[in-house]
This record gives sequence, C-alpha cells and structure tokens, in this order.
Amino acid sequence: MKHSFNIVANHKPATLERVLRVVRHRGFALQTFNVSASDSEQVAIELTVTGERPIATLQTQLDKLYDIAHLELIPANADAQSAGIRA
Amino acid sequence: MTGAQLVLKVLQQHGVKHVFGYPGGAIMPIYDAFYDSELDHFLCRHEQGAVFSAIGYARSTNQVGVCMATSGPGATNLVTGLADALLDSIPVVAITGQVFSSLMGTDAFQEVDVLGMSLAVTKHSFIVEDINDLARVLHDAFELAQSGRPGPVLVDIPKDIQIGQVDFEPYPIPKPELPEFSLEQVEAARSLISHAKHPVAYVGGGVGMADAVDELNDFLTTTKIPAVATLKGLGAVDPTYPYYLGMIGMHGTKASNLAVQECDLLICIGARFDDRVTGKLDTFAQKAKVIHLDIDKAEFGKLRKPDVAIRGDFKKLIPQMKTVVDIGEWQQQVSDLKAEHAWRYDAPGEGIYAPALLNELSQKLPHDHVVSCDVGQHQMWVAQHMQFTSPTNHLSSGGAGTMGFGLPSAVGAQIARPDTMSVVVTGDGSFMMNVQELGTIKRFQLPLKIVLLDNQRLGMVKQWQELFFEERYSETDLSDNPDFVALARAFGLKAKTIHSRFEVSDAIDQMINTDGPFLLHVVIDEKANVWPLVAPGKANHEMIEG
Repeated sequence: MKHSFNIVANHKPATLERVLRVVRHRGFALQTFNVSASDSEQVAIELTVTGERPIATLQTQLDKLYDIAHLELIPANADAQSAGIRA
Repeated sequence: MTGAQLVLKVLQQHGVKHVFGYPGGAIMPIYDAFYDSELDHFLCRHEQGAVFSAIGYARSTNQVGVCMATSGPGATNLVTGLADALLDSIPVVAITGQVFSSLMGTDAFQEVDVLGMSLAVTKHSFIVEDINDLARVLHDAFELAQSGRPGPVLVDIPKDIQIGQVDFEPYPIPKPELPEFSLEQVEAARSLISHAKHPVAYVGGGVGMADAVDELNDFLTTTKIPAVATLKGLGAVDPTYPYYLGMIGMHGTKASNLAVQECDLLICIGARFDDRVTGKLDTFAQKAKVIHLDIDKAEFGKLRKPDVAIRGDFKKLIPQMKTVVDIGEWQQQVSDLKAEHAWRYDAPGEGIYAPALLNELSQKLPHDHVVSCDVGQHQMWVAQHMQFTSPTNHLSSGGAGTMGFGLPSAVGAQIARPDTMSVVVTGDGSFMMNVQELGTIKRFQLPLKIVLLDNQRLGMVKQWQELFFEERYSETDLSDNPDFVALARAFGLKAKTIHSRFEVSDAIDQMINTDGPFLLHVVIDEKANVWPLVAPGKANHEMIEG
C-alpha cells in the first residue's frame, strides 16, 4: 500500500533524520521525499511511503515527534484523484 | 554567568537536588560549576552506572532523574541506559558535553555525533547552537521528559556554549497540559464493563507513572473485577486484593494467564500488549473485547485493535470507569484458579530454593522497601515471589531487559530515598556487568543490601538452551566466577556465602539488621529453572512447567 503525508516541521538539527528513521523503523519504505525550507523556522515535507502495516501505526508515531508542527495523511483516494487530474 | 553555571541553575529551578555523572574534557566547565554549587553530584564509576542511577532515582520517586557525561565515549556509554528509559517510559534528562562548535564535524578528539546517535534511544534530543537558547532548551527537556508518555531527553552542549556568558532569568514552570477525554467514550467503556460476564483488568506501568495507584485500587475494590499485572505494573494492584492474580505473560502465574485467556472483556490500563505478555498475539484473549486506556495514542491498535480506546490522565479517567457489574460466578472461578495454582515452596533437598528465599525475604523486609533487579532468572523469581505495595518499590528493566541494571539503579533509589531499605537482587551474570558501581557504594557509604543468586551460569539463556537448543550450552558457563565475597569486601561491604536452605533465615536477618552495605552470596543449583513458561510462539494457555 502506498501512502502520502504532508508535514510541516520545525527547521531544527536532525528533524529530517528523525522523520526518515521513524519511517524505516516502523516498517515502511520511502518512495518520495520532497523538502522545501521556506524560511529558517519551518520546513515543508511531502512524503510517500509503502508498507503492509496499517498506516495509522506510522501516522501516530510521526505525530509524536516533537518538531512536527502539522501532519496530514493524504487519503489514498484523494491521491488517486489528484493523480488522475495530473494525467 | 557562564553557560555552565546556567545549566546548574536551571536544574535547580526544576527541583533537581541530585545529579549522577562522570566528568571529562568537553564537560569540564559544568563540572567546574559544580564545585561552587549546592547541587549534589554523585560520581558513578562508569557513565552506564550514572544513567542507570538516574533511572533508579526516577523510578523510585516518579521524578526526573538527571545524568551527565562528557563527549565521545562518555556519551556513547549512556546509550544503553537511554534505550532502557525509552522502552520503559522513564523520565530522564541526560546532559552531554560536546566539543567546541567550531570543531564539530572535523573528527575532533572525543567527538561523536551524539545528536545523530541519540535519535533511536531518546524521546527527543537537542543540541544547543546558541547560548541564548540554552535555558529554553533545558526547560523544554524537563517538560518533555515528564509530559504525556514520559521518556529520556538528551541535551548536547558544546564547550563554547558552556564557557560563554549569558544572563539568568526566572522561569515559571508550566503546569502540564493533560488531554481531555469525551464522556461519550467513557460511556461506551462503562457499557462494555457493565455487560461483561468475565472481565479482567490488565494493569501496566502507566498506572504508577500517572500516580494513579489509589484510583486503580478504588476502581478494583468497588467493582471487584479480577486483575493481572505486567512486570512494570507490579506494585500497582494491592497484593492483598482477593481477585489479584499476579503477573501475566511468559513467566506469569498460571491463574493470571488462564483467566485472561478466558475473559470476555480485557480492560488494558497503561499497558502495551508486549510480546512477553501476549505470547502468540492472535491467540491472546481471543474471546475478549478490549478497552484500552493510555496516555499515548500510538499504542491504540499498534498490536491489538481496541473496541474502545481512551487517551487521558489516569487520575481522572480511572474513576470514570466505575460501574455496576454482576460477575459473582466469574469471581468464584478466578478464586478457584488462584487457589489451584498457588505457589509452592516445598522443593526437595538441602540446597537453596531461590523462590522460597525470595518469598521469605519479601516477608521480612520493611513495608516500604525498594527492590532493584537485574535481568534473567532471578528477575522473574522476584516478579513471581516478592510482593510490592507500589510500582516505585519494584525497579526492573522491562522493555529493554538490560543486564547490569540492578546495582546502579539501586544506587539511585537509595540516594533518592535515603530512609528506605534498598535491596538489589542480582545474578552472577548480571552483577558483573556493572560491578564497578561497588565503588559508588563505597564512596557514598550507601547501605545497600545485595542478594546475589549464583548458579555459575547465564541462567536464563542456559534454560532456553536446555529447552529449545538441544542442551547445547554455548557460552553460558560461568563456573570461573570471582570470589564474590572477597570482591565485596574489597569495596568495604560486609559479605557472606550460604549454601544450605537451613542457613537462609538467619542470613536474611543478618543482612537486614546489618548497618551499612551487605552482600549475601547465595549458591543455588545450576539446574533450577523458572516455571511456568510460555514457550516462544505459543499461546499463554500452553504454559509448561518443570
């Protein structure tokens, strides 16, 4: 199963490493990882992962990271729709 | 003031009185500040001793434990303790010195990327990049360590930050924000409880961490619902509660495992369905609906899907669970199970039967004693055969299962609670893992009592080799152990060895009544195993006994 997240995080040392570590450790494989640091305070992350485990198990673990300010799981069907629009 | 002086001031703002640590080059400015500080620093003899002492301090008081180490090897020696604290949700703040900011990334002397190293073993970690952030980072560390699900937080402070100048400002300590829960969820849980015919409360470490032991016991005595506890939950349920069945899981009591396998409602209170508890997960409490109460929503559905899950502060949440139940038949069934599978201490022979010794020790110790275990067979015997009146009195490395935990964590507990008798129960394998902390006992004249159960083996590994590896005893023979009595005496402890069951009673009395530290070296049979046992991959009702 493929899942996507939109994340806004504090731009602190090791923020990106923390996100990547949790993804791997909790049993998911990274597909895409787009980062844009719009200012010195925050960083926007678009993340796509695949994995067989329930995505809620990753969502709640990412959500616990202290430097994550906002986390949004993009519903699978919304992702399919937007993919359709792009096509 | 300097950054180093500010660090100690902030610790004092958070009520810290005792710090465990070991100095070194990159943390020397902070140690220099200790020289004039009112804070008491306890020099341990290895950084792992320092972090486990901080853990023992935290576990025995429910307050934050603080430890310090220098950069490089000092910091790397903290890793095992931080992992232990993370898996058991223990509030610890670790402060490490780091090389000068200008040298970071150059492979300087004693430079390790401590922030990178900390990611997998802390709840969160900081590196201080600007001296003006130092106080805020430390305040955040204390808040994070204690809030929500507690855990270890590391703060890495480069040497230039420690020697820089900064102003000290008062800081009002914020009250922790506790999550609210909906009455609708509470009603759903209460409805499940009142309709259940065979409910069981599955009590974990979260109850003690939330300081909700009284609320739990009020809930149990009101409803008379049978209860079982995890290793970390031991002490939460009043041991005299008639429907308390003891520990659940791999080495749990037969009564608790059978009751949970038969229950139709499992009320999980601050526990996490660990594999040592559940056995084969898809066979665990198969007929049961599940109510899961926790402070950490990431635990909901991680391993077992709950029917009702409520995140909340247990002091408020547990009282809300009280409802009328009609379970007379089940209570009788549970009482019968408890009577049928009660422990027996009538082992044959003249040798010392460790469960009987621990049971007698438990009865003879003062009411509010602390027992700190190491890891292995003796740890399970303590969990099975000793009684505890509070989770803060039973210090045991649960999630990580770290050998070497017992001695330094007892040091922390003894310093935190100087008027309480602290007892270490250890094995000959575990004891040697942090044996250097006998030096800490000597230095601070700590009156610890150490019971060393010596079977000249790595007993638990040997037990598995016997049962699951065709008796191929690879690297578990410790028959070349040192002379433990001589070793203890070298550090100023009184010590004696016993071999026979007829010596046990007097030896326990002598240990308890001795002023100052004492090591009781107990020779036990290498063939003694821990029973019952749920074999790996088996269901909890398939326990085997020796």
